[in-house]
Amino acid sequence: MTATDTALQAAPAHKARGYWATVGRRIVRDKVSMACALVLLAILLAAIFAPYLHLADPYQGSMVRRLRHIGTPGYPLGTDELGRDMLSRLIYGGRLSLLIGILPVILAFGIGTSLGLVAGYAGGWANTAIMRTVDVFYAFPSVLLAIAISGVLGAGVVNSIVSLTVVFVPQITRVAESVTTGVRNLDFVDAARASGAGALTIMRVHMLGNVLGPIFVYATGLISVSMILAAGLSFLGLGTKPPEPEWGLMLNTLRTAIYVNPWVAAMPGVMIFAVSICFNLLSDGLRSAMDIRN
Amino acid sequence: MPSTPNRLDRRAPLKLAAALLTGCCLISGAALAETTLRIGMTAADIPRTLGQPDQGFEGNRFTGLTMYDPLVNWDLSSATKPSVLIPGLATEWKVDDADKTKWTFKLRPGVKFHDGSDFNADAVVWNVDKVLNQAAPQFDASQVGVTASRMPTLASAKKIDDLTVELVTKEPDSFLPYNLTNLFMASPAQWQKFYAAAEGADAKAKSQAAWTAFAKDASGTGPWKMTKFVPRERLELAKNADYWDKARVPKTDKLLLLPMPEANARTAALLAGQVDWIEAPAPDALPQLKSRGFKIEANEQPHVWPWQFSRVEGSPWNDIKVRKAANLCVDREGMKDGLLGGLMVPATGTVEPGHPWRGTPTFQIKYDLAEGQKLMKEAGFGPNKKLTVKIQTSASGSGQMLPLPMNEYLQQALGECYFDVQLDVIEWNTLFTNWRRGAKDPTANGSNAINVTYAAMDPFFAMVRFLQSSMAPPTSNNWGYINNPKFDELVKKARSTFEPAARDAALAELHAASVDDAAFLYVAHDVGPRALSPKVSGLVQPKSWFVDFSPVVVAP
Amino acid sequence: MLAYIARRIVYVIPIVISVALVCFLLVHITPGDPLVAILPADASQELAAQLRAAYGFDRPLPVQFGLWLWKAVHLDLGNSIATGRPVFTEVMTAVKNTFILACAASAIGFTLGVFFGLVAGYFRDTWLDKLATSIAVAGVSVPHYWLGMVLVIIFSVTLGWLPAVGAGPGGSSDWHWDWAHIQFLILPAVTMSVIPMGIVTRTIRALTGDILSQDFVEALRSKGLRETRVFRHVVKNAAPTAIAVMGLQLGYLLGGSILIETVFSWPGTGFLLNSAIFQRDLPLLQGTILVLALFFVFLNLVVDIAQASIDPRIKRA
Repeated sequence: MTATDTALQAAPAHKARGYWATVGRRIVRDKVSMACALVLLAILLAAIFAPYLHLADPYQGSMVRRLRHIGTPGYPLGTDELGRDMLSRLIYGGRLSLLIGILPVILAFGIGTSLGLVAGYAGGWANTAIMRTVDVFYAFPSVLLAIAISGVLGAGVVNSIVSLTVVFVPQITRVAESVTTGVRNLDFVDAARASGAGALTIMRVHMLGNVLGPIFVYATGLISVSMILAAGLSFLGLGTKPPEPEWGLMLNTLRTAIYVNPWVAAMPGVMIFAVSICFNLLSDGLRSAMDIRN
Repeated sequence: MPSTPNRLDRRAPLKLAAALLTGCCLISGAALAETTLRIGMTAADIPRTLGQPDQGFEGNRFTGLTMYDPLVNWDLSSATKPSVLIPGLATEWKVDDADKTKWTFKLRPGVKFHDGSDFNADAVVWNVDKVLNQAAPQFDASQVGVTASRMPTLASAKKIDDLTVELVTKEPDSFLPYNLTNLFMASPAQWQKFYAAAEGADAKAKSQAAWTAFAKDASGTGPWKMTKFVPRERLELAKNADYWDKARVPKTDKLLLLPMPEANARTAALLAGQVDWIEAPAPDALPQLKSRGFKIEANEQPHVWPWQFSRVEGSPWNDIKVRKAANLCVDREGMKDGLLGGLMVPATGTVEPGHPWRGTPTFQIKYDLAEGQKLMKEAGFGPNKKLTVKIQTSASGSGQMLPLPMNEYLQQALGECYFDVQLDVIEWNTLFTNWRRGAKDPTANGSNAINVTYAAMDPFFAMVRFLQSSMAPPTSNNWGYINNPKFDELVKKARSTFEPAARDAALAELHAASVDDAAFLYVAHDVGPRALSPKVSGLVQPKSWFVDFSPVVVAP
Repeated sequence: MLAYIARRIVYVIPIVISVALVCFLLVHITPGDPLVAILPADASQELAAQLRAAYGFDRPLPVQFGLWLWKAVHLDLGNSIATGRPVFTEVMTAVKNTFILACAASAIGFTLGVFFGLVAGYFRDTWLDKLATSIAVAGVSVPHYWLGMVLVIIFSVTLGWLPAVGAGPGGSSDWHWDWAHIQFLILPAVTMSVIPMGIVTRTIRALTGDILSQDFVEALRSKGLRETRVFRHVVKNAAPTAIAVMGLQLGYLLGGSILIETVFSWPGTGFLLNSAIFQRDLPLLQGTILVLALFFVFLNLVVDIAQASIDPRIKRA
């Protein structure tokens, strides 16, 4: 959240291909990052291919087998408050949880980068118009803004994604603008301009390559925040609606079971924690592989 | 307290001494430490304290009937008998023989508000005007919504003498006494004091400021007086030793009400000893609460958990055989024990035997799978020809109990009777809004039954609004457009029968007719569970949404 | 310096007005009856129309906004629909409670964060560094509402050491800094402190590491400069950024307390916001959001000015 202010002064003009190869080599050698990437990949694949994993129906409950303990034969992670298989719900839950956690960052990355590039490259009134608007939204603490928008729009997956996107766009725009402004004044852009390249070409070829890296790292750092916020919205009853499996909502509905079966009730929180910490570590690994100062 | 010792007992003097000693200790103990009953409510905020509470009947329970009295009260003294109307601040009432829209209410003499002013006819007129007369200075729009909708026919009030008022209704309505349990008598003198001191640009602003001040320092006639009010956090009430009904002077010195909307937080607070009593404990925590010595109190409430059938053209429920079959195919006892841990009462109608409106239905609602299957076969369905029905319900909501598991249970049970039940699960607030829009509205989404629970205390809210054809949307909650001339005729008869016993008989006739017609799928009545610390005793849990806190004792 | 402060303050005014507009629009553009809090679903349509007029919700939106803004300038945010109480006093009471919580959480989070950060920075790439960074990453990654639940289960329900919910035995109105009250504060404050703890640790670690790796520090050390002097040097150079980060974190805690306050029934702004959302109490909702956003804007301003006065090189537009 605070990385914006570091202004990412140093965005050196690397030669694109060799640089990315170096980054790739460095990150593969980073054990922590690789472990995190594997965990995330496993969760993601399981969520995507859940229907082929021969899991129990995540919606089918039964009153006679409510709140079974972890390790019950047939229910390796127990059952929830309506007797639905926890393992199945946690895996299926990854679908919505990852969707509403990651999609807003991707959307905000697209929108924010475009706005920031335009503002940073064009300068002048375009910069003023974009950045002053961004400042207004930036004036709200992110949790407050997300909850206010969701609270007003009402519960629902789409509304959650919209509200989180609105929260992240200003942050990414700010980073993108400051990086672009920094790069714009560097020698090689001037050289390109002198050689008669059009504004679009300059933006596409020279600036995107040098600008995207830092923004990308910043955005990956946002994913963990987004995961926690998205689940938090569902936890408050402002996100996913029952009976959809989603980790935040599961945490909410299992709260009443915490006296009977605290470990089962804690499982969705563990999933959110695991994904969030993996994204954070991966983002850190990426950051140091790209040698961007924090 | 010590009882008179048995004369035949030789050790009587000793016992007497011991008893006296204990008595002394108790008295001095009480003088040293006053007793406080701390209650965790389910409300997210303290219900409004200015006389007309919000937050539904929980509001009336905690900030209505504690600090205030209505003209007509509920009898909350028995755990076994149905809760019926008894005199409150009015001692008797009757309708005018010539003009059935005019009622005379005799008021209780010698009653004083907590601020010392007298309760009289002027106070009643003032309190009616606060919600019905827009020209009155004390008219408060914020209190109108909850109050006026529960008194649909009351029009105005007039003073006859100091202890007599005349109430006028828009049309003859024998249900008026029920409606009046929702109008609480706030002190005009106390309000006037705040009004005189209030600052504001105009009379309306001053009035609003006066009500805000009144809410912080309220004055009614009830058994409890407001002593401290921290908005959104706590309300402290102290016993009113001068309460007009000496039998109901509280046995505890203080009542402390805390809003705790989270079932889990409430349960944790009880387990941690922060409160002595919680409403609606987390169901899964019941075994743990019991094992730690906490008491669970529950009793049948005037509440119905139904499927309300669509009777529009083409609805599968238009065949009475299908309606009856559904009612016969549900093992309600199985649902009670297997699903709800005993916390429900099987429903065989809107009200159960023993209630004055029960009547004698000929159709017996019970679990009879064979009979249900037979009726379905007669209606033309069978194992290979299932009847598809779609139910709109919510995943949560006030009074909905455990809507999803219960509907899934019904889905399985009715499956045995050749029904194919589909559930349309929507959000509670949306469901509640759709309820008013009716089965013909697009929001019904093709469903031909709706699952919205309701309170059944007042004849209008228990039966009339569902059964009378003129109550179809948008007027009221006849969601399924029931149009049964017999119901209409019986509603009319009940509404225009003013002698209470005869009115109840007419209502019983209406109820019996609705059961015989299997107008609803009657499933369950809620029991309003609450968990009490072992220190709490003396509670009588009546068959009501309300409870009398006066006899409750808290051991120090 | 004064000119800089004046410029910053002038720059804040359009932001404040825009923020007010966003608050108002956010709450008003969505469909739904604003009187749902006091109007039962079975109320008649005449009654609904009558009340809508009584509350002024039948007037055009620009007029409503103008009236609201004009009153807001005079510290009148209207009255709550559900409770009838003035929104301004409701919000201010809640702000006080959130402030208590946020300050306690900051005290815990910042102290631990600075400590872990310095340890990690000084002993870079040792196991101490790894331990401190792991704690920091865990702190920023843990869903804090879940952590709160877990703490309640352990310390309130199982061990019975600390109260589970609420803000003191007598409610928040008679808050004192004594044990009877502080015991209510511990669990929510600890839960709330994990995020700032993590972020401050990471910031301080990076700053310390950078400063220590500069050539002249080595030079100073080789000249026999005592470690205390080196430490003072580190503190002096790290302070402006650290203060800025902490200031922003305090702002985030004030505005982002809703999840924790819901778990612990702490009667602060988040709790208020939650009930305003679920009761659809529009005046209360827009008032709470506005006050919180303005606090955040104000805090940003103070942080900028403080930062600039410590280190005049950093002057942002």
